[in-house]
Amino acid sequence: MNKSELIKALSEQKKMHVDDATKVVGAFVDSIKEALLRGDRVEIRGFGSFKIKDYEGYTGRNPKTGSVVQVRSKKLPFFRPGKELKEYINN
Amino acid sequence: MSTLTKAGIVDYIYERTESNRAEIKDLVETILDIMKSSVKKDHALLISGFGKFEAYDKRARKGRNPQTSQTITLPPRKVVVFRLSRKFRSELNPS
Repeated sequence: MNKSELIKALSEQKKMHVDDATKVVGAFVDSIKEALLRGDRVEIRGFGSFKIKDYEGYTGRNPKTGSVVQVRSKKLPFFRPGKELKEYINN
Repeated sequence: MSTLTKAGIVDYIYERTESNRAEIKDLVETILDIMKSSVKKDHALLISGFGKFEAYDKRARKGRNPQTSQTITLPPRKVVVFRLSRKFRSELNPS
């Protein structure tokens, strides 16, 4: 399933206009993205939690050519599925 | 560092749409239910501009109870991982 299918499913289940469902799903995703961009944690009961991990930069090597490369520091989100989601997926 | 919870998500949507909080809370629960069943049924849920949730199978493996050193077989199970989209990755790491 992709985002537009999610929007369609929401509008069908809740008998709402697709435009309204699009707004709600868009705001839902934006709220999570904005929190993570601020560096905040996101915790959704029953689904899971996200947090940003900071990875420091390092000097690496291209294993093929042996040349030295600078790997820059980066921020990556990390998702931990919640208990309810894990159980749901497994039964 | 603060934490965004379901209540915070509901507030965020409330400020941007014309529904009341109770309706939005119900919509958020429905979105999460659809997301969960999609991950279970399709093994993947793609949210463009954000990332992809994937369910994949882990095989049974031998484990050990560290307290008793007893060897046990961990059953096969499904795990859910999140892979972020290229767009969101570059938003998090502006060059």
